[in-house]
Amino acid sequence: MKAVIGLEVHVQLETESKLFCGCSTDSEGAEPNGNTCPICLGFPGAKPKVNRRAVEHAVKIARALDCEVQPRFYFSRKSYFYPDMPKNFQITQYEMPLALGGHLLLDDRRIGITRVHMEEDPARLVHVGGSISSSLYTLIDHNRSGVPLVEIVTEPDLTSSREARLFLRKLSLILEHLGAYDPGREGGLRVDANVSLEGGQRVEVKNITGFRAVEDALNYEIIRQESMADMGISVMRETRHYDAESNTTSTLRLKEQEEDYGYITEPDLVRIDVDEAWIARLESEMPELPDARIQRYVEESGVPRFQAGIMVNTGLDLSRFFEESIRLFPRPGVVANWIVTFLLKSLNYEGLSLRESKVNPETFVELLALIEEGTITERLARELIKEYVGTGESPRALVERRGLASAGRDELGEAIGEVLSDNRKAVADYRAGQTRALDYLLGQVLRRIRARGDPVEVKRLIREALDSE
Amino acid sequence: MTGVIDRARELDEEYGIFNALAESDDSMGGGRLEGVAVSVKDNVCVMGMETRAGSRVLEGYRPPFDATVVKKCRGEGALILGKTTQDEFGFGTFNVNTPFKVPVNPHDRERSAGGSSGGAACLTSVADFPHLALAESTGGSISCPASFCGVVGLTPTYGRTSRWGLVDYANSLDKIGVMGKTVADAALLLSVISGPDEYDSTVSQAPPEDFTGYLGNGVEGLRVGVPREYFGEGVDPGVSEAVWGAVKGLEALGATVKELSLPHTGVSLASYYIIAMAEASTNLAKFSGLRYGLHLPLEGAFDEYFSRVRARGFSEEAKRRIILGTFTRMAGYRDAYYMKALRVRTRVIEDFKRAFAEVDILAAPTMPVVAPRFDEISAMEPIQHYMMDVLTVAPNLAGIPMISTPCGRVDGMPVGLHLMADHMEEGKLIRATHALEVSA
Ligand SMILES: [Zn+2]
Repeated sequence: MKAVIGLEVHVQLETESKLFCGCSTDSEGAEPNGNTCPICLGFPGAKPKVNRRAVEHAVKIARALDCEVQPRFYFSRKSYFYPDMPKNFQITQYEMPLALGGHLLLDDRRIGITRVHMEEDPARLVHVGGSISSSLYTLIDHNRSGVPLVEIVTEPDLTSSREARLFLRKLSLILEHLGAYDPGREGGLRVDANVSLEGGQRVEVKNITGFRAVEDALNYEIIRQESMADMGISVMRETRHYDAESNTTSTLRLKEQEEDYGYITEPDLVRIDVDEAWIARLESEMPELPDARIQRYVEESGVPRFQAGIMVNTGLDLSRFFEESIRLFPRPGVVANWIVTFLLKSLNYEGLSLRESKVNPETFVELLALIEEGTITERLARELIKEYVGTGESPRALVERRGLASAGRDELGEAIGEVLSDNRKAVADYRAGQTRALDYLLGQVLRRIRARGDPVEVKRLIREALDSE
Repeated sequence: MTGVIDRARELDEEYGIFNALAESDDSMGGGRLEGVAVSVKDNVCVMGMETRAGSRVLEGYRPPFDATVVKKCRGEGALILGKTTQDEFGFGTFNVNTPFKVPVNPHDRERSAGGSSGGAACLTSVADFPHLALAESTGGSISCPASFCGVVGLTPTYGRTSRWGLVDYANSLDKIGVMGKTVADAALLLSVISGPDEYDSTVSQAPPEDFTGYLGNGVEGLRVGVPREYFGEGVDPGVSEAVWGAVKGLEALGATVKELSLPHTGVSLASYYIIAMAEASTNLAKFSGLRYGLHLPLEGAFDEYFSRVRARGFSEEAKRRIILGTFTRMAGYRDAYYMKALRVRTRVIEDFKRAFAEVDILAAPTMPVVAPRFDEISAMEPIQHYMMDVLTVAPNLAGIPMISTPCGRVDGMPVGLHLMADHMEEGKLIRATHALEVSA
């Protein structure tokens, strides 16, 4: 049975200040409730005011997803009682969202975007001594209250959990390119997934954090629904909670218990009228997006499309790494090949992301230069890159410290001469037609130069020496 | 001005005026309000002074900031005297819907001072020291008590004054305004408090005006409209007569008078109450005993705690409005009530716009009756309370400025003349009422 999946993606926007007040959004290392004020704490008498920067970020996101920015939009109050909501209502967008009707391309699949809107994040709840049900008490940290969120809602166009993961990866890449989102921020991307089997009832799985978890949660939910169908039990329309630890979903509430949020327009904020010039300015400020970047690597740098795709899709920091590397070492084909074939593999082996590792373009291109100037062989470079990724030590310094530079012509000639005169029997065998003797002589020479040479080249030189003897 | 605080305490004991009183004089002097005591309706935040908006649920709340209007008064050298009594969150017409003091009418202690800014009007009437009042209107809460107590109450255009620091009742309707013994007093205080404010997005960007400049300009050529619907059933004939007398007075001073119609007057009351209660029910959601106001011992789950705090903290009228307001915005009813009320509001505004194409100001009674006695009030059903606002809600829905000024007496009690003008035309109201005041 085919799965029908739609996503609601909540993204924390990278702004200096919160959506409706001047408090900082950067609460790393901040004291709980340190980044708060009467506005984001919902004190009586305090009123919100819209952070223009956050709106601009949201407009750029909408345009990057090819959505139509609405000529005017306003905010609404979504009412529900919960301790993470200082006002017991959330300021969000309801009837008139920021933008409607766009899409995102996944190769040649077109995933529809229903709407893009802004809202404020609630507080962070810390359940002390256990889970939400077993904890003794719960602490509320309002540092997150009022942080700007953008919600991106897709059409039910996704057909598998894998496709959902790929969609999220592409989306986060676009957001990263826009500077609207930091993939390193914990919980920066939260997803509610609507999933059903063709013809079946729709189930909403709430509050999943991270791409991998979305794929896992959807896998679980699809299998659950399939096995229910196999047993002839009909799936009920409901909202389910995803537990990442056990990788299962469980009922949160049934359709009849769906909450009614009693939306009204937010009367403390004025309608925002969008003028064309403002949109045009924001569009002109928009950076190159991932698809265009891949195209540029192919067309301008002659990088094979599959390699360009891997580099761009891995993340913005790898794209930047590539671009800086080819500035320092202007042979894009070699650089791309080494990044995709060897650097990524080594990072993967070490379990490091580029950001976490000590690798940088300056030292990375040293390795390529060492090969090109013939100081080391490609084979040795493939060995060294593992060490380089692990320690970050400059490859040139490493080669020098360990004396790994290839043996020069003189050293090699001397070694060959010595080996030939020390091994007369092997030389005679070679002349008698035993080709295996040549391999023996090669082994001896390589041992003498401590393998600092290209075996093919060394073999050629030995043959040359034998022929001229 | 410590003598003023002592005198205010005496008046409070006599009339029930204050929910909080300044402990000492911390005024800076040196401005347009030097030597003036400014009283503040309880729902307007004064830094460090208990601000309960007439509700038990806000017990102990001392705001960490001043409302913009309070800050502006301090900046002009005023003494911030104290917090005046009101109906809980402004929910009332007679200032009896409060667990705290109920102000009495200075002209007859058996009668209501009006609401919801009852304490402000009562004090304005009885103060025997230089005093001006900051009051607030959502559906008539300045005009009504001004009329009942026989003082001048000026409600400005929505957005003329900042609401930063106002404990919200219905944000799209709330306006901070002023009361004084004279039109000049009201014009002065409005000049001080109006103007743009970065902390309230809904405030007009129009530069501040000096409204005292309109005093003495007369009414020569001013076109006065008298809306028929405002003199209909339920309006005391004595009140009608007094108001017509004032209108004739304006005519005698050089104004022209014509009768006209505001056809949506009848439906404005329902529209007003639906919008006001819908907004109020969301505003009151925040009062749950977590960060400020009433706290109870922490027991049970959060929703049980919220329910206990709210059951204890809100009085009956607040609970009624939360329930009604929540109902009108629920999924199945939203279109029939809340959305429809918004459409009616547009019609009401169009009524006024049409009228102001023909006339400069509109004249009507402020209240259909003079201040009722407390025993009469306690015999009323809630709907009869709401009906009392029938003449004041339409201009409040439209967000146009209005002023109530005394225009005679019925049974020895003051009658209020209500003048309304187009958005941002407070100047015309000041001209007309001042002309009447000096000719009397
Ligand atoms: Zn804040």
